[in-house]
Amino acid sequence: MTMTTCEQIAKLMPDYLKEALHPDQVGLVEAHIQNCAECREEAVLWKQLGSLPQEQPSPALRSRFTAMLESYQEGRWEKSSLASERQRLPLLSSFGRWFRMPAMAGVAWACVFLLVGFLIGKSVSKPVDSPDQAGQIAAMRSELKNTQTLMVLAMLELQSPNERLRGVTLSERGDQLDPQVLGALLHTVRYDASVDVRLAALDALSKYGARPEVRKGLIDSMQDQQSPMVQIALIDLLVDLHDRAAVQQLKKFRQDPSVNPAVKKRAEWGIQKLS
Amino acid sequence: MAQVRNGIGEMLGVLFDRYQAPLFSFYCKLTGDRTLSEDLVQEVFFRILKYRHTYETGTRFRPWMYQIARNARTDHFRKYRPETSLEPEMSPSITHPDLAQQNQEAALLHRALLQLPEEKREVLVLSRFQELKYEEIAQLMGCEVNTVKVRVHRALQELRKTFQGLERGSAAQKHSEGTGFTRPGSLQ
Repeated sequence: MTMTTCEQIAKLMPDYLKEALHPDQVGLVEAHIQNCAECREEAVLWKQLGSLPQEQPSPALRSRFTAMLESYQEGRWEKSSLASERQRLPLLSSFGRWFRMPAMAGVAWACVFLLVGFLIGKSVSKPVDSPDQAGQIAAMRSELKNTQTLMVLAMLELQSPNERLRGVTLSERGDQLDPQVLGALLHTVRYDASVDVRLAALDALSKYGARPEVRKGLIDSMQDQQSPMVQIALIDLLVDLHDRAAVQQLKKFRQDPSVNPAVKKRAEWGIQKLS
Repeated sequence: MAQVRNGIGEMLGVLFDRYQAPLFSFYCKLTGDRTLSEDLVQEVFFRILKYRHTYETGTRFRPWMYQIARNARTDHFRKYRPETSLEPEMSPSITHPDLAQQNQEAALLHRALLQLPEEKREVLVLSRFQELKYEEIAQLMGCEVNTVKVRVHRALQELRKTFQGLERGSAAQKHSEGTGFTRPGSLQ
């Protein structure tokens, strides 16, 4: 066997350090660093770097953030209402001129009283927001939805299961989910490492069972499930949704010797219910 | 309406709580300056707030955030150029209370990291401390994945040399301090 050179190892080293190297090549690197001090030190240094403490920001940073958030939102708020204010001004000033003309003043005042009366009547009978305000609310709602999507997706990729769980919980706020969030939740049901997070995502998706793409995603995710708890929850949900397409996958569960007996029983029950 | 507004604030608050520490640590390791790092973290969250519509759903959040973080830093140094000539011995981060108490080796390693040329330091910080894949770093830096790997390797090599140099220096210093201490009466 020829010795691997440092140059060859240098190509493998970065992936080795990230634990992303193919298992076949790990042995190659490890054999080399046994004998080569320089390459070994490189690996040791990488480990040592990992033990450097993570610097913590001062608590003041959180309050600065809150203040920034508030002033940003206030700023936007004032800016948009100022803009509509300015548009209205020329109209008001021309209206004001009428009052200064003796002949027109009576007509103008009559108009004002009519308008006031109309507005009072309207506000008593049906207290609605002005079209302006309704537009602003709609804009803010869509902003909220954007932010929610951003946040749920960001939370779902975190390492701690608790934080991913929080991401799933936050996705349940609001009435309609972004298709991207639905996709991320389906991915979570299928691939998340934690059973709790998978179950929570399944629960969040159960509300969207009417959508064919959700049902298809759920059926697809059955083949990757290892946990009996999630398998049973999936069977129950699909039976609940009366999705006949699940039968084929349920039959696979029934036949697969590695599947938990309780799951097999549930699959049997599901097949009967669906067919 | 206030409810909708509070909703946005609350969600960004969750993101802030989760990402402020990794971001702060990213800047500290890169600049060695705690005050500046806090300012930059604040700037990043301001930009996330302002440009959150540009986030493409379906992509990972972390690389997007670090893209913003890198831009914020570049913009800062473009405005305040003199501060870029960072002398590690002078920077406040060296007087870290947490590091000072830690073993000396970690402190030396931290110093060695700060002495690396900027682009080498950055590739190490991103790959070692920020949970980013080489592919994602390549995307951030606009280069090939293999280039990133080569850079990581070279940065580590240089870090090793700097670190060893510092270790030798501190050992020599200790030695001379030690000999000074053994003959306290010699100065009298």
